[in-house]
Amino acid sequence: MEFTKELVDSLADKLLIGLTDEENKMVLDEFDVIDKDIDIINTIDGIESVKPMTHALDGVELTSLREDTPKETPDIDDLLSNATNKIGREIQVPKVVG
Amino acid sequence: MKYNRLTIEELHQKLINKEITVEDLIKESKELEKTLQEKCNAFDFIIDNVEAKEVTDNMLSGIPYGVKANYSTKGILSTGSSNTLKNYVPFFDATAIKNLNKANAIILNKTAMDEFGMGGTGTTARTGIIKNPWDITRMCAGSSSGSAAAVAYGVYPYALGSDTGDSIRKPAAYCGIVGYKPTYGMISRYGLFPFASSLDTCGVLTRSVKDAAIVVDNMKGLDENDMTTFDSSNIHLYDSINGDIKNKKLCYVKEICDIDNYPNASDELKAHLENFKNVINNLRDKGLEIDEVSVDKKLLNTVASVYNILSCAEATSNMSNLTGIIFGPAGAGESVTDQMKDHRTKGFSPLIKRRFIIGSYVLQRENQERYFKNAQRVRRLIVEAWKELFKKYDAVILPVGSGPAKKFESDKDVISAETTILEEHLQIGNFGGFPSITIPDGFVNELPVGLNITGKNYDDANVLNIAYFIESTMNYKNQNSEERK
Repeated sequence: MEFTKELVDSLADKLLIGLTDEENKMVLDEFDVIDKDIDIINTIDGIESVKPMTHALDGVELTSLREDTPKETPDIDDLLSNATNKIGREIQVPKVVG
Repeated sequence: MKYNRLTIEELHQKLINKEITVEDLIKESKELEKTLQEKCNAFDFIIDNVEAKEVTDNMLSGIPYGVKANYSTKGILSTGSSNTLKNYVPFFDATAIKNLNKANAIILNKTAMDEFGMGGTGTTARTGIIKNPWDITRMCAGSSSGSAAAVAYGVYPYALGSDTGDSIRKPAAYCGIVGYKPTYGMISRYGLFPFASSLDTCGVLTRSVKDAAIVVDNMKGLDENDMTTFDSSNIHLYDSINGDIKNKKLCYVKEICDIDNYPNASDELKAHLENFKNVINNLRDKGLEIDEVSVDKKLLNTVASVYNILSCAEATSNMSNLTGIIFGPAGAGESVTDQMKDHRTKGFSPLIKRRFIIGSYVLQRENQERYFKNAQRVRRLIVEAWKELFKKYDAVILPVGSGPAKKFESDKDVISAETTILEEHLQIGNFGGFPSITIPDGFVNELPVGLNITGKNYDDANVLNIAYFIESTMNYKNQNSEERK
């Protein structure tokens, strides 16, 4: 796959991140490293047949699922305490529907 | 009187005997905090009015400590050293903090770190570069940089850290102290800002192995808010330490430790590995059985790549809630999307942006198999290789990094490929969730260096006991960056 400035901008846009030209170039340079990385990984024999490991204690049964009982929920004022724009008990954002 | 070289046990005894007061301790810590902040920029947030707490039977009661900036602390600024959360004050405590509150431990400050834990240099905090108290022209490593600097300087006997790749254990080595990452799931991650959830582990930086055991005994426990925690009520770390190493067997990996692997080795690297070899020989003389083993070099060469891909991918997903809408400074714009984009564009440092974009790329449907899934597959192979070693050995012992703390001008990203495995092998501890502890093992160029001991899951007591024995054969316990000079 060819890595281009446009590809990097498109990925950044999906993440809602804007990049300067300098930052874009930094990512492009890093892609070469990542591709080299993956080439190293793909040199491992029989890799296709290995089950992906998704969790540090893979294979261990997790026993701490809690009972499905109602719990006290946080106070709404606490939940809103760090929001910059709010009106009463609601967060204020620009109009999203016509 | 100076308290800043005393252990937790010693401080507790003095408090109980009323030789010192909690107020004395806070006062001295505050003085040291001030001078260290001027010298090394170690803190993200300093608490002005720290209140004393009652001294009880708990050894942590009445003793000040530091908290890494990525732990949620109720009513106390918690930024993760990121501008995206520069005004964030949580309304709840992380479970680990709550547990330490029950012990009557006293939070003194929030320590600066690489932004959200995503760096290993201590150079990306919103508050500026964090310097090493042993030599301010050198880095502390990261990401628990401020915690390491503060404990090494003697501000308090311990500070909390978090470890996704080596973020507790490498700064500990660079600062001449102890860094302990317990088995994954021993300490709840609830309230720790997530970076890469399958690797993130809470832990502690101290100046002795016993102190690390005392602190984690108080932090750990099953938590219904973190389903990956396990019941460790039968594990008593402090009580298990007796220094008995009869029948214990360790191994080190030739492909990492042998100087012949590094034909272009610097003088510091040569001295570091020579020192490690001498330590091993000394331990053998004292009765510890240590073998040299081999691990497939091809597999070892993948460690850093696997870490990069997995950690970036998980981070991208975890940080999607940073929008400036619910918390963090609001962005400007005509629409919600514009506001979120403005917040994220201005708030994240270039390094973080780079990591997110790479994470997003490897998670795209068309790339997942080649990048993300293959990295997860190799993660399993690496973990299995270490588990194979644990069938025969209690722990793997290895040198940390390629020498003492690096100069700031040496960019971690351009470290020669030759020494990558030396720099990055601690990540294996995160891949497998293994308990892993770094302790100081000597000096190179008058700067501290460290070694690491990693064991099998849930075997923390054994790992700490071995570390305690090794610590007792050397003279670096409770060392302090100021008193050495």
